[in-house]
Amino acid sequence: MSRPGSEQRPLGSGALVRLVAGREISTRLRDKNFIISSIVIIVVLIGVMAFQVVVGSGSDEGRLGVVGDASELGPAIQAQGEAVGVDVTIVPLDDEAAARAAVEDEDVDGALLDGTGEDPQLLVRERDSTMEAVVNGAVAGIAIAQELADAGVDLTAVPEVSVSALDAGEDDGERVVVALIGVGVLYGLLILFGQFVAQGVVEEKSSRVVELLLATMRPWQLLAGKILGLGVLGLAQIVVIGVIGVAGALAFDVVDVPGDLISTVVSVVLWFVLGYAFYASVFAVAASLVSRQEDLGSVLTPTTLVLVAGFFVGLQAAGDPDSTLATVTSFVPGLSPLVMPVRQAAGEAAVWEVGLAVVLMLVAIALVVRLGGRVYAGALLRTSGKTKLREALRAERA
Amino acid sequence: MLEFDGLYKSYGANQVLQGVGFTVAPGSMFGFCGSNGAGKTTTMRIALGLARADAGEVRWRGAALDAAARRRIGYMPEERGLYPKMRVGEQLTYFARLHGMDAAAAARAAEHWAERLGLGARRKDAVEKLSLGNQQRVQLAAALVSRPEVLILDEPFSGLDPVGVDSLAEALLEQCRDGVPVVFSSHQLDLVERLCDSVGILARGRMVASGTVEELRRREAGRLLRVVVPEAPQGWAAVVPGVRVVSQQAGDTLLELAAGTDDQAVLAAALRTGRVAHFAWREPTLVELFREAVADPAPATAREEVAA
Repeated sequence: MSRPGSEQRPLGSGALVRLVAGREISTRLRDKNFIISSIVIIVVLIGVMAFQVVVGSGSDEGRLGVVGDASELGPAIQAQGEAVGVDVTIVPLDDEAAARAAVEDEDVDGALLDGTGEDPQLLVRERDSTMEAVVNGAVAGIAIAQELADAGVDLTAVPEVSVSALDAGEDDGERVVVALIGVGVLYGLLILFGQFVAQGVVEEKSSRVVELLLATMRPWQLLAGKILGLGVLGLAQIVVIGVIGVAGALAFDVVDVPGDLISTVVSVVLWFVLGYAFYASVFAVAASLVSRQEDLGSVLTPTTLVLVAGFFVGLQAAGDPDSTLATVTSFVPGLSPLVMPVRQAAGEAAVWEVGLAVVLMLVAIALVVRLGGRVYAGALLRTSGKTKLREALRAERA
Repeated sequence: MLEFDGLYKSYGANQVLQGVGFTVAPGSMFGFCGSNGAGKTTTMRIALGLARADAGEVRWRGAALDAAARRRIGYMPEERGLYPKMRVGEQLTYFARLHGMDAAAAARAAEHWAERLGLGARRKDAVEKLSLGNQQRVQLAAALVSRPEVLILDEPFSGLDPVGVDSLAEALLEQCRDGVPVVFSSHQLDLVERLCDSVGILARGRMVASGTVEELRRREAGRLLRVVVPEAPQGWAAVVPGVRVVSQQAGDTLLELAAGTDDQAVLAAALRTGRVAHFAWREPTLVELFREAVADPAPATAREEVAA
């Protein structure tokens, strides 16, 4: 009488969650839009770095033609250039005519006439304040040294300033820029994958397949599978972006300190995990309240606004990482993933602060999952119109 | 035995089920009838764990259904549901796996059922590209693909053309022959009458009748007798005690006999009027039984439509 049951095994929660997650991943991997958007993100990232390299090479190097004796002036100009971060190459030129020709042909960025004489003159195509400052400084310096020497002053007696930085992270600016890019990517991916989760939930509701699914599993298993599956994809994407970013930055020589870069990227990735767990749950629960894709916008907007706010606070924090706003928001669950990485990169966050923010975020995630799971369970089978939060909570017990 | 035992369920003040109970033997088909909103869908959802009963339980082989047992149920919800963008074959495999099959067995079963239901050529198509009739077949395949021990189908025949109805009926009868108890709800009572070993009629949250169609007919009080007596005068039967004339047109008379009335006395009275062309109990159709059973004794106030 009974059917051969040899093909069936009892399924545990883990197996069910894995099945759901597997379906999410394979569905997305075959989704052309997903593949294209992923490629676009990576191409844009590589493009940005290439742009950095091109722009950087333009401003950080200069060629200066010098008419006459450059033996003294040349090193002085190069030293001045170094002080403001410009790598100056000295090109000796014969006379004023040659200098004009070289400037016209853009062979040099500028040409200095009579550099050590009474009436020094700088020829440029367009005014260039950096070049002017470098040349002015060098010319003035040499003139002063000359006059002092003439007056018999011993220059070796001039004390040299030794520099000691109070802040250990010597190149915060660079790390903050990396953190900023990271937070931008993190923000984009949180929105993208949050949307994926929300659309997936509504798709199951609007197509009514959810009733068939819930006949085989509990709502939380469905929710967990969906969030984990898409989360694995999101994590893979941000890791790929991070690896390409780090590899590209090193290859193009955009950064000086690879260790700092890597630690910043790692902290962004870790904050992505926390941020995703939080926002994916909130998005899923919000989406479970509606039954049509068209209604999705209205329930997602409040959460999206929080994300946008977090992003802007993160941008602001890059400029002023120890401001009250940045400090406070870096602890607020939901905002912290977008603000804390910037503060960490700027070296403004102590370890205990990061730890506290993580703990607060974990508590928030636990609450959202627990409460949200109940709303989700109560709202899933209400496939008509919009469900109110309170109704969903009541229905969960039904 | 699949037993539905004393199910109660209310949504707020709305009593949807008030003690629904019936049993379905393995290898038999149970037709579940009732007006819209009578509680059929709620009853089935309780069996699948999609709604929680306030009281009562559903048992299979003597044990209350739990998550593991429910995984052996093939279910077709009233609101059809499949992933629109997922391919037919993969979808069936997925549902088979959710019911506990391993990957290889699930793929085999999906192929088998797609082939069986005439979807072999469409296995690689997304469900949304299929005609409604074919989507319905996929839905049925999704219910059958895990080789369920029990089938619970909510309005499986709705929306099918006559050929589709026949092939679905054939598939269900085959499941029955394999020993699977099949419960399905339907408004197509002729189908229920033709296919089902037993029938349950649900009205206002209560089973108002259940049993084989035969039993229901026999139980029906005030049985109808049709007598055709061409030469009889109008009102000839009224003189027989315990007989009520329902209608008489020319000699074609429909009589309702009170319990205990001897039909032979009626025959004798008919013969006295002359020639008797026809004398037979009139078998009520299931439609008539249904109307009789669900007739509201006290016309209810506007009842709220719930997901019932």
